[in-house]
This record gives sequence, C-alpha cells and structure tokens, in this order.
Amino acid sequence: MRGLNLPTRRRFGQGLGTALALACLPRALRAHDGAHEVEVHVARFAFEPARVEIRVGDSVTWLNRDLAPHTATADGGGWDTGALPQGAAGRITFDTAGHHSYVCAFHPHMKGAVVVRPRAGA
Amino acid sequence: MKALSLALALAATVATFGAEAGEPMNDLEIAHTAYTAGGIDIRYAHLALAVSEDDAVREFARTMIRDHSAVNEAAGTLVAELNVTPQDNALSRALVEGASAKRAELTALTGAAFDCAYATNELAYHRLVNKTVAETFIPAVTVAPLKALLEDALATFRAHEAHAEHMVAELKCAG
Repeated sequence: MRGLNLPTRRRFGQGLGTALALACLPRALRAHDGAHEVEVHVARFAFEPARVEIRVGDSVTWLNRDLAPHTATADGGGWDTGALPQGAAGRITFDTAGHHSYVCAFHPHMKGAVVVRPRAGA
Repeated sequence: MKALSLALALAATVATFGAEAGEPMNDLEIAHTAYTAGGIDIRYAHLALAVSEDDAVREFARTMIRDHSAVNEAAGTLVAELNVTPQDNALSRALVEGASAKRAELTALTGAAFDCAYATNELAYHRLVNKTVAETFIPAVTVAPLKALLEDALATFRAHEAHAEHMVAELKCAG
C-alpha cells in the first residue's frame, strides 16, 4: 500500500472538491477509466461510509472532521494513515485485491472496511 | 464508591451553582469550566501512565491525553479568535478541588487497586461531565462557535465514557 498524509485544510478542501467532481461523473466512467479516489469522512467517532468498494490501483482518502485525532489502520498493520488531526486527510492506494478491515488505532471501536476488486481485464 | 461520592458532590455543585449565583453560567464561565475539566482528565491520565502497568489502562490514558489536548487546543484557538478571556467560577474551582483530592487518593494506590480506582473514576467523571455539557452547558451557551465546539467535544467525551465502561468491565473490579 502507498500512503500519503495531507495534513492541511487547503488540501482537505481540494480533496473534497475532487470527491464532489467524481460524484458528478457518470457511473460507467467511474467504473472503467483509470484510478480513482474515494473519500471516507471520519466524524462523530465513525467512518462514513464504513465500507467502500474500489478497484485495484484506486485510492481511499480519510478526512477527519472530529476534534480528536484518528487513524485508519489495517487490522493486520499492513497500512496506516498515521495520526490525522482535525481537518487533516490521509490517503492510501490499494494495489492488491481483497477485503481490508481497518480500525482507528486510537479508538478501536471505530471499524471500517475497504473492499478492493480486481480491475476489469486484469 | 469514593468515585461515586465525588461525582455526586460535583453534581450537586453543578445543580446548585446557578441558583446560588442567581443566574445561569455565562459563556466565559462555561468555556473556563469545560477547559478545566479537560485539563483535569489530562492530569489523571499522566498519573495513570506513571503508575499503571496495565496495557489497557495505559492505552486509555494515552487516548485521554491525546483527545483532551486536541479539544483544549481547539478551545484555546476559539478563545483567541473571539478575543475573550474565560472566567474562573465556582464550578471550575469545585472541579479543581475535587480532582486534587482524587489525585491524592489515587497516588496512594498501586497495581490493580490503582487501575480500578482510576478506571471507575474515569467512568464517573465522564458521566458527570457529559451530563453537564449536554444538559447545562450546551443549552445555556449563546455564542454559536462555542456551542458547536461543545457539541463536537461532547461526541469525543461520550466515546471516552463508552471506552471507560469497557475498561471497567474488563478490569473486573470488585464493588
């Protein structure tokens, strides 16, 4: 996995803009063209949505809106956004298909999952 | 039991403070009290890290330091933006006095006795603070950014309360 922390409000806004732009694209285009980025909001001590589905090569960006810092950390420790203070974002790119359960390392009752599907034709 | 007594004493202070003063707490008093409550829990947590050898207790303490520091930092930023000075008040002082007594009690303990006393106090303390923030502070505060901050802080403190409940259950403390 490849991780990148973006601990600035400016980039947080940029990421949000990207998400909004992606949301407006036709579903077929999103499903087939290149790598994409999915956003997960961390708010009120929950990941929203708690489960996302992506394709190999896509990225997930977690945006922390809580006052308390959070992480998105793989159950097995294979990837980790690191600590995300309020307003910060962390991105992980998934290069292998599979079911990736994760928690917040600081608040382990917060659980989520990233389901990575093979890319069509791969 | 001692944790419960402290909680009841502080709850009584919360309940009577407004009546004694003749008016509800103002925004600056609420801000001061909320900040003070966070600082108190950070001090409890540092004590736990100094004394406890239990992994779950130590992890909880680290979480309290991390989260309450973040909340208080946000409060400090808001106070600076608003260019106001939080006001010391009877409830703040009662919290500080109660915490001083509790720390003295905790400092005399070690091992499982400390862990249980710390954990049960954390549960009682967060229950009291959460009830006060939800039922007294948030309805009374008049400045929108402070109300929003308290609402966000309450979400954090409620997670702590649930975490403390789990910690107490796992420690299997008698009585």
